[in-house]
Amino acid sequence: MSRLNITSLAVKNLRRKIVRSLLLFLSVTVVTGTLFSATIFISSMQNALKIGTYRLGADVLVVPEKYAADARSALLAGEPTSFYMNRDILEKVKSVGGVKKASPQLFIKPTSFTCCYNVNAFLVAFDPTSDFTITPWLEKNLKKPLSGNEVITGRGMPVMAGDQISFFGTLFKVVGTMEPTGIKFFDQSIFMTMDAAYKMAEDSKTKSMQPISLSKDEISTVLVRVEEGIAPDRVAIRIEHDVDGVRAMASDEVISTVRKQLMGLLKGILIISALLWILSLLMMGFVFYMIVNERQRELGLLRSMGARKKHVFGLIITEAVIISGLGGIAGLISGSAILMIFKDAILQHLKLPYLLPQMTFLVELVLGAVIFSLLTGILSSLFPAVLASNMEPYEAIRKGE
Amino acid sequence: MIKVNDLIKSYSIDGQKFWAVDNVSLAIGKGDMTSIVGHSGSGKTTLLSLIGGLTKPDSGSIVVDKENLLAMSDNELSTFRNRKISFIYQFSSLIPTLTVLENVILPTVFGKQQPDGVAYARELLAIVGLENKMKVYPSQLSGGQQRRVAIARAFINAPELVLADEPTGDLDEETEEEMIGLFSSMNKNKGVTFLVVTHSTELAKRLGRQFKMHNGRIEEII
Repeated sequence: MSRLNITSLAVKNLRRKIVRSLLLFLSVTVVTGTLFSATIFISSMQNALKIGTYRLGADVLVVPEKYAADARSALLAGEPTSFYMNRDILEKVKSVGGVKKASPQLFIKPTSFTCCYNVNAFLVAFDPTSDFTITPWLEKNLKKPLSGNEVITGRGMPVMAGDQISFFGTLFKVVGTMEPTGIKFFDQSIFMTMDAAYKMAEDSKTKSMQPISLSKDEISTVLVRVEEGIAPDRVAIRIEHDVDGVRAMASDEVISTVRKQLMGLLKGILIISALLWILSLLMMGFVFYMIVNERQRELGLLRSMGARKKHVFGLIITEAVIISGLGGIAGLISGSAILMIFKDAILQHLKLPYLLPQMTFLVELVLGAVIFSLLTGILSSLFPAVLASNMEPYEAIRKGE
Repeated sequence: MIKVNDLIKSYSIDGQKFWAVDNVSLAIGKGDMTSIVGHSGSGKTTLLSLIGGLTKPDSGSIVVDKENLLAMSDNELSTFRNRKISFIYQFSSLIPTLTVLENVILPTVFGKQQPDGVAYARELLAIVGLENKMKVYPSQLSGGQQRRVAIARAFINAPELVLADEPTGDLDEETEEEMIGLFSSMNKNKGVTFLVVTHSTELAKRLGRQFKMHNGRIEEII
């Protein structure tokens, strides 16, 4: 016979009314699962934004005025796009007060006719002589600049260093892969030098069925780093004032737009979770109150056998802890599963970046979720447990008859 | 063993005060087998609960084994009950989720667990003739068998005082005889004091000293 104690008594009590126990278990599962998956989801998006902002490395992004929305979609959702403006703008931007560095980039959107490999790839060309966003990564990881036909790819591209890849009839060699960011602009892009991009455009006229219409006077964007101590949004305003036909977006502004979108989402999820939690607390509290009521005589009998108040209190709380602990673990598992299944569909809809936070944060989150579920059980059963432990044994036995 | 003085316990029912125990005084010696007879509602069960420390009186004093129950804290009282007092009820007092053996051993959970507790529980179940029912649940037993399990449980912590409320109420004659035999044996061999509440004047006569309760008052039948 296994040793009889408060825990085994609690387990046996929970087995007594399995449907009721299952209901309590499910309510904790739903609340914990919802909160856990929502927190992971939002943290992942915030994490991706943080890393993406850092990777972008620019304080201000200057694009043709009418393509501002396209540029934002390209950055946040990685939607390939092509737009061009005159290279003169680079010099004009450089001359604006508060601009420390300015470097051009080209965005080229391949089509199924021009790319034999992956139509979702986004071609980004940079100028190694002035670039301050890709080049530092190259210096640190590749330890050499890109030569004419070399490219580096985002982690989302199904290619590895050494592979060859063709765009618009030009063959490129993959020499490196960047670490994942969760932002498609980086993860599904192929980075090359601007010289390589212009040459590819020129060659496409003879080599490709769909040539690129791009001249060496054209660029897509100017990335700006501002002087220290100057707010990027102030510089962005100055650029828009001094340079005609451009939209200057402070990276903070891009991020804050998304943050606002995220906060709205977070608010909605928090309200739903809080309502679910309150409902769950009330339901569990009511069920435990019922349990205490219907077991009055039994609890009185335990007291007559010498059970102390703390034993009766402990018995009710242990039942709640077991059910909420198991519900919490089930919530973690089901929440993770639901997130895995629906993540892509949600991201597709929201057009937001996603990157799981670091393992330490995830471990903290798992522990937090378990503690939260246990607290739910303890809080809901606290009043019934106090009530049960304070019943006079004789009254409990008599009323329970 | 038991010394009760001027004990009063009242209830209010629909605003009207009702004295369940009305100025009761009695003294029962260690190792005595005593019965209290009386009609339903005469206050027998309330008196038993007062002596067992399950409820507090309005006034009076209760001393059990030289300990003043009314001066004890709730924890002290619980420990005292666990070590020295056992109850046998007139209703099924078994926990439905526990097996017969677990029910018998249950009181040991709340006190110092003896290493030979399970062995002693098996021995007690053998004494009440249920050695082959140890693993079954109370719902699988007859009312009489359930009562026998409750009686076996009453002795698991080797109590000095057994407070029994109609212990043989729904037992057949043969089992009733066996149970009275068990009480007598525990009384003679282990010095257990019995205070038994019963309707049955026959049972009362066989136990020794008799008291009669009526409207909360008590008198000794000589």
